[in-house]
Amino acid sequence: MMERLIDRMIENVTQLFLLLALAPLVTGVIRTLKARLQTRRGPNILQPYRDLGKLFRKGMVIPETASWIFAATPWIVFFSTVLAGLMIPMVAADAPLGLFGGVLAVIYLLGLGRFFLALSGLDSGSSFGGLGSSREMTISALAEPAMMLAIFTVAIGAGSTGLTEIAGAAIGQNWRFLAPAQMFAFAALALVLIAETGRIPVDNPDTHLELTMIHEAMILEYSGPYLALIEWAASIKQLVLMTLLINCFWPVGLQHTWFGFGALQGIAWLLAKLLLLSCAIVLLETVNAKMRLFRVPELLAVAFTLGSLALVSTFLF
Amino acid sequence: MKPFLDMQLGDRIVTLMAALVLVLQIAMVTQRWIVVHIRIFAAQSLFLAMIAATIAWFNHAPHIYAAAALTVVVKVILVPILFERLVVRMKIHEEIEPIVNVPISVVISGGLTLVGYVVAESFYRPEMPGLGHNALAVAISLFLIGFFNMINRRKALTQVLALLSLENGLFLAAISLTYGMPLIVELGIFFDVLVAAMVLGILVYRIRETFESMDVSRLRRLRG
Repeated sequence: MMERLIDRMIENVTQLFLLLALAPLVTGVIRTLKARLQTRRGPNILQPYRDLGKLFRKGMVIPETASWIFAATPWIVFFSTVLAGLMIPMVAADAPLGLFGGVLAVIYLLGLGRFFLALSGLDSGSSFGGLGSSREMTISALAEPAMMLAIFTVAIGAGSTGLTEIAGAAIGQNWRFLAPAQMFAFAALALVLIAETGRIPVDNPDTHLELTMIHEAMILEYSGPYLALIEWAASIKQLVLMTLLINCFWPVGLQHTWFGFGALQGIAWLLAKLLLLSCAIVLLETVNAKMRLFRVPELLAVAFTLGSLALVSTFLF
Repeated sequence: MKPFLDMQLGDRIVTLMAALVLVLQIAMVTQRWIVVHIRIFAAQSLFLAMIAATIAWFNHAPHIYAAAALTVVVKVILVPILFERLVVRMKIHEEIEPIVNVPISVVISGGLTLVGYVVAESFYRPEMPGLGHNALAVAISLFLIGFFNMINRRKALTQVLALLSLENGLFLAAISLTYGMPLIVELGIFFDVLVAAMVLGILVYRIRETFESMDVSRLRRLRG
């Protein structure tokens, strides 16, 4: 019993370390690859770490109108995202905090963070914050049903909404995403990933100088360590969603348990798959132009329809 | 490999490609740019030809290869080129405006797919295994969505494209139910499609010349 507890703790610490350390790297890799593809030199891959370090050392400016929500939000966003990250299978099918909840808990933890971000956008009193909050809520209200339907499709296949069971059922059927239901669900979840991480057809992650910005508009009033926490949480959220996507649909290299040589192998596979997905995202961002805000619901309607087709076709095919 | 396994593999490939065809049909509903619309149609027809080739391979029915080759020649190459020329000649720059807005159109297409599945389910006989149970459902869905797309568009050229995607549905149904009609019938159908595309192309051009718009609702003026 005692040994099991220690094992669990090692798993938790390892995954926590992976989450915290890997998330800025993924952001950096995507940025650099994108710059290279557009024949720019681009920042160093490690630039996001430097940015975070710099922000943590800086002072803060807090708006006069802000209440306690403004101060609490960065912490809530950061910790809810990290907690969600500990509930997903990264290296092994057995998620460290898998006991505490399945995929619904992950979605709602991310939702909690988003809710507080939107509140703080309103709280800061600037007109941009309110705009950003309203846009974020519009998009997430449309993205969430699509995400749910896609996830339920996978959950029906596994017979459980626990991510450990879902990933466990997926191991050994590496090519099952070729089934129509899986393919529809994958496409739906990929569209949701783009919308949720603020990637290009929906939001532009590179700038806060655009009038149609969403995420950047909400956090415009943040500075210093608080901004660092929020930015870090955003990149962790991106990592969580990417890992969810690749491990639910393409579990090549995902291990059953954490120990021995297998864990190292699992980490190597995870990195390889993340790199592949990053390349896909870079390609998608480069060939597409940003959508007008009023066109975003169309994209998400497609995601929703794909998700519901996926769910229905699990019963039909 | 045993024949039974062979059939299963064939069924999986056909199902997967039929799903892709369906996705492309829904993508057509969302598309606002006519050139992209034409290219999606070409891609859809290509997948259809691949389905036909797969069915031909797994059922040892060489005459379906001819149908697949004809699909490639007519629907993937000739018709898209014809239409793209028409677009260039008529200098169409504006976007397609559907009558029902795009998100609702997409959801309606999803609903029509369900109808397609329910209808196809009633044709299904477990004692007659073989390729194409799912393909039939997709075919009926293609038919319904194509029909909806025709009603939903104002401009003549996009209606013609919708008609052709509807015809794709018919082709898929024919090939998945009967494993291909006699070659002479296929030839007739393809010739029909080509002639229809050309005639409709000329008609669209004439409508444009006469009314300075492709909006078919303006044709009411003919009533005098």
